[in-house]
Amino acid sequence: MIMPSPAIPGDPAAPIFKIFGSGMGRHLLIVPHSRIFDLPLDLAGNDDMAGLPASLLAALAESANGEVPLYQTAEPSPQSISLNVSSSCNLSCTYCYAARGSFEGAQPQPMPWEVACTAIDALLRNADPRSPITVGFLGGEPFVNRPLIHRAVAYAAGEGSKRGLDVRFSVTTNGTLLREDDIDLLRGHRFAVTISIDGGEDVQNQQRPAPTGKHSYDLVYKATRPLLADPGLAQVAARSTVSRADLNLVRRFEAILSLGFPEIGFAPLRAAKPGGDALQDEDWPKYLNAIVEVAKSELKRAHEGDSIRLTNFAVALKQLYRGASSPYPCGAGGGYFSVAANGDWYACHRAIGSSPYRLGSNQGLDPEKRREFLVKRHVHSQPACRQCWARYLCSGGCHQEASHRTDSSCGFIRGWLEFCLGAYCELAERKPEFFSAKASA
Amino acid sequence: MSNQAPIKLIPRNVAALRRGQNQNEGVRLVPGNPVSTRLESGVGNCFPGLECDLRNLERRFFPFLEVDIQDAEISVVSVDIAGVRDSVSNGQMPSDMASIYQQVNSGVSSGRRWRVETMQGIFGPLGVQTLTIADLRLPSAGADRLPPDAWTAIRLLTEGTAVQLTLQQGNTRRILSGNRMRYLDDNGALAKMFLPGELTQSLCSPWTHDFRDCGCFYWASNHPDIALPLLPTPAPNIPEINSYVPWERADRTLNTLPSPATIEDPDELSYYEINSKWQTLNFVLEGRETVAPYLQGKFTAEKFASLAELEKNLQYAAGVELAVIHEYLAAAYSLKVTGLPAAIANDVIAARAELMRIAYGEMRHVRAANDVLRALAGNAPFFPALRVALRVPDVRPGSLRPVLPRPADPPTIQSFIDLESPSVSVDGLYASILATLEDLGTDEMEQTVRSVMADGESHFETFSFIKEWLGRHDPQVYLRSSTLTAPPAGNALHQKLQQEYRDLLESLFSGYTLGIPTGAPAINAARNAMLGASGLDGAAEAVADAGFLVAFDAISDPRFTPVDHP
Repeated sequence: MIMPSPAIPGDPAAPIFKIFGSGMGRHLLIVPHSRIFDLPLDLAGNDDMAGLPASLLAALAESANGEVPLYQTAEPSPQSISLNVSSSCNLSCTYCYAARGSFEGAQPQPMPWEVACTAIDALLRNADPRSPITVGFLGGEPFVNRPLIHRAVAYAAGEGSKRGLDVRFSVTTNGTLLREDDIDLLRGHRFAVTISIDGGEDVQNQQRPAPTGKHSYDLVYKATRPLLADPGLAQVAARSTVSRADLNLVRRFEAILSLGFPEIGFAPLRAAKPGGDALQDEDWPKYLNAIVEVAKSELKRAHEGDSIRLTNFAVALKQLYRGASSPYPCGAGGGYFSVAANGDWYACHRAIGSSPYRLGSNQGLDPEKRREFLVKRHVHSQPACRQCWARYLCSGGCHQEASHRTDSSCGFIRGWLEFCLGAYCELAERKPEFFSAKASA
Repeated sequence: MSNQAPIKLIPRNVAALRRGQNQNEGVRLVPGNPVSTRLESGVGNCFPGLECDLRNLERRFFPFLEVDIQDAEISVVSVDIAGVRDSVSNGQMPSDMASIYQQVNSGVSSGRRWRVETMQGIFGPLGVQTLTIADLRLPSAGADRLPPDAWTAIRLLTEGTAVQLTLQQGNTRRILSGNRMRYLDDNGALAKMFLPGELTQSLCSPWTHDFRDCGCFYWASNHPDIALPLLPTPAPNIPEINSYVPWERADRTLNTLPSPATIEDPDELSYYEINSKWQTLNFVLEGRETVAPYLQGKFTAEKFASLAELEKNLQYAAGVELAVIHEYLAAAYSLKVTGLPAAIANDVIAARAELMRIAYGEMRHVRAANDVLRALAGNAPFFPALRVALRVPDVRPGSLRPVLPRPADPPTIQSFIDLESPSVSVDGLYASILATLEDLGTDEMEQTVRSVMADGESHFETFSFIKEWLGRHDPQVYLRSSTLTAPPAGNALHQKLQQEYRDLLESLFSGYTLGIPTGAPAINAARNAMLGASGLDGAAEAVADAGFLVAFDAISDPRFTPVDHP
């Protein structure tokens, strides 16, 4: 049930439209609700107004029936949680936000069964039974606490089936510890499996070192091969963290594909310890060029009827088709919570131990603190975002990384979105079945 | 005002389309053709000229083939070769079968005619047969009879059963085997193989000469015979502007009121004129001819605040439907069925038949409200809504009136008109339900409620007709008595009626609880229990024959106990 929530007015001076181009001509993006239109080829006027009456633009920007107005904060029942099952990791990646799962001392012990069980019960009891419900596993490396994952999956699936709920699972893992029984577990359930692998042998071993002196590339290759060959019900994707040390995404993409991954997503490193390899202002234009280069070759595949394997691109296209538009970049504190090993509920898995993000516990959410969080994180509350045309597509980006936002990193987001918008229009015109297939999937 | 030419923006994503479709918040009045033009309310038959030509379904009776059907001939017009390829790659069709399809396809594409020479299959009551299509002819009678023509033969084939065709082109013959196709999917929707327009492709249209061959004005029913006239400018305040005129009148003069439709033999456009001047016929929106851009009327229905409130109102809506059935049945059975003077008999018989039809129609609404409630409940246990409303919405917004079964005198019929009138009373209740479902429900739920609202419109219209028919006569002549009252509690006929009614509710409760398909036998049993001398109809008739009003007692069982407005 959606409860009445506070409204956060937008900036009346903020742009409500954006003109962009594609191989087909010029197009109009109505910023609220992400409506996309083709502009007539002969339309007079400059790019600022494109000859469009302000009254028309304003009318198009209004919320339509069934659309949640963008000034609204939303407090839905949590629909997905992640369980931080482990407090340690067998790798020691240079950029780990979780300090290998210990969160700098905030999570010293792995999660006990009682905490996982109570959290799952709370999720299933309160979630909307008509929509899918997701239980995720994070850490540290989640499979360090293998018995808990197996037990929690069996319990959640059993309870879900008793109550007629559509319970799904997700796990983010470095993939190196997967055993046969783990792979059977993943194959047997609707698991979204994200395997963190940064690139080919050199990049992976450098960015994700295994402390035992072994090479993490060899470990992940060997352990994930059977799953990639036969994923069963699981949907497997690779996630590659990109540091400024190596911005050659084409090479990374091909190296990971060659391992048999069907889908790959890139995540640029924005926050790192001093002296770390986070992207700097001068890196963002290079990063944009690099990801667009990968996306262009994937777009060509899509025009020929093949799938798009770059998840950043595939997800963007799908969302533009739907007209995805949100004042929040993710479900943190809304439909999604992350449960720490001690049973505290945080808005985000990256914020374990951070007091402003602690919004409740297994005993229940703190409604006032949650509301305060959602009001504060609404894109209309972000001075740097209120005037941006991409505000409902980017929505301010990851809360944890917001403090690292710069003009240059925002320039990357806008450049990437502009590329995706143009690519969307071309694909929607020439290969509309790409989207109808996605929509029905 | 800007002198700028209109700008044509082409929607490029779902959100852009959504904005175009929903200009106003809340529930909108949708202008256009009246409810009688909906497919399900049309005079559906198998011949062209009405809503759809059902014969077009049979054009796709065999997998991957589209055929033309004459009296004693079936010929292939196209092959879905992409579908054949998919079927081969899915391992569902052997390659030798695919090569036959390929061969037929290349023949058809190059203008060679492939005919169905023989067809083997299960032909319904005629059993398993191998028919030579060219031999089919009338008469079709006797023990070993054959279907009279190719179309009937195909129509008799049992859905999903094996069919074998011998296709012939010159001296070449090929055999194809497949199952008789399903025309509807599991949700009752037309199968995807049918293209938009395919079922109406053979209908008469006023701008073609087709209907001439039918030998009559065989309008598709979305073409009215009569309509309210164009409003002259300025519109005079005279009753004639609200009287119907012939839509296809010959006199097309603007700004004068045409002659009314009631005159004998109005001067109408001839066949030739309709062919050549169809574009002079005016659009008809909301029953009135119009030549100006349509300005959409709107009303905003208030939404319920929560799912719980929506559910309570749906439960109440089901109760209102049951309550009005009580009133409609009391009115229907209060009309005389025998001893009517010849001059009024037809009017009274028609009024009673329409009252009964509407009462039965309300049973569908009870089901519709329960269907939506069940869907909203999702996986939670479902408790059917079969509690009769204590009070029903009144014509004054927000007010309620008690349920009062009474004879069909003029004030009663007027109260029925008020009850069903658009935008108020019951329609207002459903408008709020619909508005809320736009947020909390699915398209299917919305369609269900829209269909109930559209029926309400049709009921309103019908009660207006009943008022007109009965209004010509003295109530003393057509009513069994104007002072009918319910029988005393112990009356045996009354008790029998209560038992029949209780059994009906029990069957419905059990059917709705189980849902479809498991509950279908119980729902069918309820339907059957409504009709016939031994059913609810017979029991009610007996009460009326004994000189009493047909009325239903409140039931104390918590499943059926009366419910009040939430």
